[in-house]
Amino acid sequence: MAGKPDVLVIGAGLAGLTAAWQALTMGKRVRLIAKGWGMTHWHAGCIDVMGEGVDDDGGISDSAGHAMAGTAAVQPDHPYAILGRPKLNEAIDSFAQLCRAYEYPLVGNAGKNWMLPSAVGAARPTYLAPETMIAGDLTDQRPMLIVGLSQLNDFYPGLMADNLNAQGIPAAAVTVDLASLREVRHLNPVMVANRFHSLTFLDEIADAIRPHLNGAERVGLPAVLGFEQPIRVKLELEQRLGCQLFEIPTLPPSVPGIRLHRILVQEIRRLGGVVQEGFEVVAAEISGSRVLRVFSEAGARQKSHAADVFVLATGGILGGGMVAAQTGDIKETIFGLPLSGVKAQQDWLSHEYFDPQGHAVFKTGIRVNRDFRPIDETGSQFAENLIVVGTTLAHCDPLRERSMEGIAVATGFWGGRQAASNESS
Amino acid sequence: MRTIQTEVLIVGGGATGTGVARDCAMRGFKTVLVESRDLAHGTTGRYHGLLHSGGRYVVKDPKAAAECIEENRILRRIMPHCLEDTGGFFVVTPYDDPEFVPKFLEGCRHAEVPVETVPIAEMLRQEPLLNKEISHCFRVPDGSADSFMATELNAESSRQYGASILNYHHVMNLIRRGDQVVGALCHDLVQDEQVAIYADLTVNAAGAWAGKIAATADILVKLLPGKGTMVAISHRAVNTVINRCKMPSDGDIIVPIHTVSVLGTTDVQVTDPDHFAIEPWEVQLMLDEADKLIPGASEMRILRAWAGVRPLFQETVTTDSRDVTRAYALLDHAPRDGVDGVITITGGKWTTYRMMAEATTDKVCQKLDSPRPCRTHLESLPGAERGYHHLGARLKRLEEERSYGQLVCECELVTIEDVHHSISEGNARTVDDIRRDVRLGMGPCQGGFCTYRAVGILHEVKKLENSASNAALRDFLRERWKGLRPILWGRQLKQARLDELIFLNLLNVEQLPGPPATRLQPTMYDEPSTTGGSAAPSEREEAGK
Ligand SMILES: Cc1cc2nc3c(=O)[nH]c(=O)nc-3n(C[C@H](O)[C@H](O)[C@H](O)COP(=O)(O)OP(=O)(O)OC[C@H]3O[C@@H](n4cnc5c(N)ncnc54)[C@H](O)[C@@H]3O)c2cc1C
Repeated sequence: MAGKPDVLVIGAGLAGLTAAWQALTMGKRVRLIAKGWGMTHWHAGCIDVMGEGVDDDGGISDSAGHAMAGTAAVQPDHPYAILGRPKLNEAIDSFAQLCRAYEYPLVGNAGKNWMLPSAVGAARPTYLAPETMIAGDLTDQRPMLIVGLSQLNDFYPGLMADNLNAQGIPAAAVTVDLASLREVRHLNPVMVANRFHSLTFLDEIADAIRPHLNGAERVGLPAVLGFEQPIRVKLELEQRLGCQLFEIPTLPPSVPGIRLHRILVQEIRRLGGVVQEGFEVVAAEISGSRVLRVFSEAGARQKSHAADVFVLATGGILGGGMVAAQTGDIKETIFGLPLSGVKAQQDWLSHEYFDPQGHAVFKTGIRVNRDFRPIDETGSQFAENLIVVGTTLAHCDPLRERSMEGIAVATGFWGGRQAASNESS
Repeated sequence: MRTIQTEVLIVGGGATGTGVARDCAMRGFKTVLVESRDLAHGTTGRYHGLLHSGGRYVVKDPKAAAECIEENRILRRIMPHCLEDTGGFFVVTPYDDPEFVPKFLEGCRHAEVPVETVPIAEMLRQEPLLNKEISHCFRVPDGSADSFMATELNAESSRQYGASILNYHHVMNLIRRGDQVVGALCHDLVQDEQVAIYADLTVNAAGAWAGKIAATADILVKLLPGKGTMVAISHRAVNTVINRCKMPSDGDIIVPIHTVSVLGTTDVQVTDPDHFAIEPWEVQLMLDEADKLIPGASEMRILRAWAGVRPLFQETVTTDSRDVTRAYALLDHAPRDGVDGVITITGGKWTTYRMMAEATTDKVCQKLDSPRPCRTHLESLPGAERGYHHLGARLKRLEEERSYGQLVCECELVTIEDVHHSISEGNARTVDDIRRDVRLGMGPCQGGFCTYRAVGILHEVKKLENSASNAALRDFLRERWKGLRPILWGRQLKQARLDELIFLNLLNVEQLPGPPATRLQPTMYDEPSTTGGSAAPSEREEAGK
């Protein structure tokens, strides 16, 4: 794409990529620039919408839908409350459809959260999980075998299996030593995933696992079943083992997260969009109520990027979109947008690491109106052609709420559409 | 209840206690050492890391300075592998009075601390980040020291000489019969049982806790615990120890050690060595003072803060039965308090621990009426043939052993073998124990990746109950948090959020079965329940007016 894009998206996490995708589906010329890849490479690769919430009858609910309704009641400015439930559902459904089109189905559980095992064997609630993970369902009591690889330091089947047993799920553990991995210098999940593209590797790992099955009806592996066709890899392995297989999210880099990232990037490119990393956006030029351009820095070079509409998806403190200084100052790094939820520094962090309320500093975020345009505390709009999406938004703690991907996809989806039409509703 | 009989019982597994254990064991006494937690869990594991040349004390406390340089020479001989031969600079910044220089030089000559003038251009060549306005620079033989390793090796050597070193044995009270202390009653935290240890002589080497131990036998040892806070920056801003050339005060030293540079320290009186907080003003003061030495230091990535407590001894009895230098106190409670069977050694510095241990063991010989000569200054600690530690040593070893794939902690280059060794040989029981042994989790990510790995390995090797492993994981995260909270901003806050993502979202550790915490959980920095911490120095003065 030459020349000025209609929409410039800043940030390549789930929110930014989803926004770019949606703006493209509406026929816009879109460019996405980012400092580096976003959170997809770190999280579990599922779509968490909400961990738990208040039920209609006041009880704790494991239904994401209910949770959302509860959230809106408790926190009327929560991004979900801004969107409303039909829009949330539509965004999540469309995203699931996109993944299905790329032969990577994300599966729901009839509106309820799945309970899937984490790598230490804790139950992890999630709304949509890739088909490669759902045989791990912990509401199901069938015995499992958890398999680790000797050379992969990022996964410990023994601890996981013991914890599952303690929760009433019969689980055994084995660590297999594969000859083909012995010579590798530093094995991480991505490197193992790349091996799964070879059939001889599938034979090798199946042969190594088979003698340990001992009646297990499902086998759990760290989430490394390849990038290209994980569903096929799963089926091939299931055939060889004669039982079901499931993936378990590991320490980063996250193979299932990278799969989602790749699907979105492919789709954006297919629709004629441009995705570029290595551009750290550091400043903006604003005239009156319009953003004219932003400036990126790479090495010693500054580059200017003009567009009609800008989408900010830089992901809060973790993504680097906000920086908290020792002085107690918290800043949105590009536009200096007004922030909500800013606390005095001594109140940033709870004394207790596991405080169920989380740490206040991570609730700092950008306040937006119904059109996802940033506003200050009086409700006045910062610029007419700037849209903010993703986990940088105010009034939520996506990590503690377990709403990270839900907020990213849903706000990215509607923010992208808003950017494409850019009219006030 | 188990009982153990020994000749010498040592209470406290810091530098002093393990030093005394080694000396007693080498001199052939049957020796048992008990430590509440892990070795070096006390002040020894929470200090600044400086092998003193004595330069710091030449004006204020010449006797301490002379002791330091003498011991500095001995430690370089017996434990070079625990030391890095960084050398040290004393520098005069625009904030310091140049009038101090002649006093400093005269003090060095008097205490026999070798000192040489370094031209400013040469100083800047060696340490380019130092303040260009520095007017004078002097070189002294300071170094940096790994106290965890030194303590472990003193314990290892003690064991080789037949001593038994019991960690996670908390002394509940000394056992007193009439005018005699006959041992100590301990709680074995791992087995959760009581152990009575009877000894001909008990050595109270509990550092800042020595007063508490003595009190259980109705002996008054008055200690004023003085807290000092330190801050680590994420890389080696300097490779030489940097001291301000002035009367010792707060925040005037930077010590490069392993992969970090440590700024320190403060001195704030606290009422209880178990309960204190790291105050924001202390962190601020460290950073402000560091900026005077290295302009911009406060903008660097800060990894962690921690604090240790100095035992400041105050004599309450006037007799000639004591050997109290300004530097340390060795008390024989028979003449002093009329209670036999127990002596106390406290105060001092890490650098002079061996000398304190020698004096203590001489006293043990005298009390047990069995004079035997000291050899700890002659015989090296295990592994000394490796020579000085240097920054590239771990990388060199990794490359030689081609063990890249075996890394558990990428920040500190800790391999699977190191962790296995710590668990099986070093008898580590918690992740924090492994950290002390191998520096796991002490680098930039502060345990983000390696904590899970270490727990996975600990679980497999120790065949722990799942609930114990879960608690170990949670204990460690909670303990790390205490040192992180005071310095979380900028990049390290971002790192903390990533770690939160890994542990609370991806792994979901708070949902794991088992108790939320264990008996073995580290206990330091339990902040006082009554809030209202210590005031910054200026405010304190205000209040005093
Ligand atoms: C902030 C600070 C910085 C310092 N920096 C330096 C430096 O750079 N260089 C230097 O040379 N010196 C330094 N020092 C001094 C040095 O750290 C100490 O002198 C030295 O570590 C003291 O060792 P210790 O064994 O006497 O005490 P500790 O290391 O405190 O050992 C006492 C042990 O007793 C144990 N204990 C307590 N109660 C019980 C009980 N009831 N039962 C069983 N065990 C118990 C504790 O757990 C502890 O491990 C510093 C001190 C401070 C406070």
